Amino acid sequence: MSATGWFTLLPLFILGGASIAVMIAVAIRRSHALAVGLTLIGLALAFASLWVVAPETPRQVTALLIVDSYALFYMGLVIASTFAIVLLSHAYFERHEGNPEELYVLLLVAALGSAVLVASSNFISFFLGLEILSIALYALNAYLHTRRFPLEAGIKYLILAASSAAFLLFGMALIYAELGTMDFARIREMLTASPGASQVILLAGSALIITGFGFKLALVPFHLWTPDIYQGAPAPVAAFVATVSKGAMFALLLRYFYWSGSHHFGAVFLVFTVIAIASMVAGNILAMMQSNVKRVLAYSSIAHMGYVLVAFQAGGRLAVEAVTFYLVAYFITTIGAFGVVTMLSNSEREADEIADYRGLFWRRPVLASVFTAMLLSLAGIPVTAGFVAKFYVIDAGASSAIWLLVFVLIVSSVFGLYYYLRIVVAMYSGLHEEAAAPSSSLLPALSAGGGFVLAVLTILLVWVGVYPATLLQIIHSTVGRAL
Amino acid sequence: MDAVWPIGLYFVLVVLLIGAMLVGSYVLGQRHDDRATGSPYEGGIVSEGSARVRFSARYYLIAMFFVVFDLEAVFIFSWAVAAKEVGWPGYWEIVIFIGVLVATLAYLWRLGALDWSGEPRRRREGKAMPQKL
Repeated sequence: MSATGWFTLLPLFILGGASIAVMIAVAIRRSHALAVGLTLIGLALAFASLWVVAPETPRQVTALLIVDSYALFYMGLVIASTFAIVLLSHAYFERHEGNPEELYVLLLVAALGSAVLVASSNFISFFLGLEILSIALYALNAYLHTRRFPLEAGIKYLILAASSAAFLLFGMALIYAELGTMDFARIREMLTASPGASQVILLAGSALIITGFGFKLALVPFHLWTPDIYQGAPAPVAAFVATVSKGAMFALLLRYFYWSGSHHFGAVFLVFTVIAIASMVAGNILAMMQSNVKRVLAYSSIAHMGYVLVAFQAGGRLAVEAVTFYLVAYFITTIGAFGVVTMLSNSEREADEIADYRGLFWRRPVLASVFTAMLLSLAGIPVTAGFVAKFYVIDAGASSAIWLLVFVLIVSSVFGLYYYLRIVVAMYSGLHEEAAAPSSSLLPALSAGGGFVLAVLTILLVWVGVYPATLLQIIHSTVGRAL
Repeated sequence: MDAVWPIGLYFVLVVLLIGAMLVGSYVLGQRHDDRATGSPYEGGIVSEGSARVRFSARYYLIAMFFVVFDLEAVFIFSWAVAAKEVGWPGYWEIVIFIGVLVATLAYLWRLGALDWSGEPRRRREGKAMPQKL
């Protein structure tokens, strides 16, 4: 192993080192601002290091990790999203009793796990990354451990994630038993080299692995945990679960199924088609029945993962770019939406009932406008990032002639409009009820960090929606080149 | 499917064996209902009080420390037996590993997790420091 091989892991080393630095800083002096500052410096250094290692790529580091432009792009996405979530967390936990400092250690560890996931080329690093991410998330979900709902969310997530990890491990074991390799690219070679391998065991292995992916991505029928955990977890943590954790997992899903060639099994393709349709339909229909904004966002994220699966099903280079573009738009929008929820929550409870948003525009016009933009982007209205992203997904689907999936996507998006617009309508109605607003207490001052994040996200949202060429160019030259 | 039949046979045999043991002891065994039949131990000293003893929360803390440090010993041991083969990269890896452990220990110490006796010694900035573990 040469020195430069290790050198390309610099972003991972910086993330790991930053989490230890924050932990020691907490031990020496307990200060919220200090912990946040160190975390942000660590994330900024890790982000900058992506450019330092970029000339060395692509490079396989040990048998486990591959650092290529695809991995670096997703690492950048993970790190930037964590940066935004740390700023939101600062605003959120500043209003709470107790010790918020360890939260940042956990966030850094979870970001490290996600970065390992997007760079894995082997079952072992896949599982290690998944566990680093999941174990940090158990604690993050239950961070406000004196309250009932976060504790419940943490325990639910612990039990379900642990059992899905067991499914995943068993699937990996079956494939290893049949093919004798854990390396994604080698699996493809072995599949073509040994036609005598038992199809039953390989398919069982793939099915169990799909279960593991399905759980983490909250695809129907593995989605039952999602609404409870989004509702229970603190809003910034819910944003992390919805974006970084799912995005990293989807990046790995793409790499695994395209590299290993398992995607071309007829049965695997069929299963993903069924899961995609079920996620789009169930996510959108169940979201209509919710009266809690965080639960609406949970079901809408289930539907969005179904949309991304449509692009995944299309296959090929266009699909990889469409998936990546969609994920970037989804990250911007979801962090923005949870950011607004974070900004409105006070130390007693979170602003998560639709009733809390009645007449918000007349009280907090800027915040309401930002939330409107985010919701319209989730619904896929033109001039927002969500529209362009959905356009590329449909484009990828149409070019591969998977008409059924494209048709379901379009029809279920129409249903989706209903529940997004319901929240929007609530925000602009009730001018006269302002005095009697039940949630007039839910008006904490907008903090500088949180306001900054929301402003940047809104600008990005419109910029990507109006002029997507820059982002497309970046995706084309990094992600498109690698797979 | 040919290769699977021994496992199927094994399952059947296990079920048969356990069934035979349960039914056999039920048929052959004697039944009686004396004064001490229902108590946990039929012979010896009569037990006192409830079996549901309350452990101090620190008991779990110590148990967790034991598991954590024991597992670390396992990793360091597995490095030690292969120290020559893995060479300098392996050495630096274990140095980083132990370094992280030391940092964690320092953190736990500062947090007061190692103060077994009642009140944590340090209460900084005037507010009580709840146990994180």
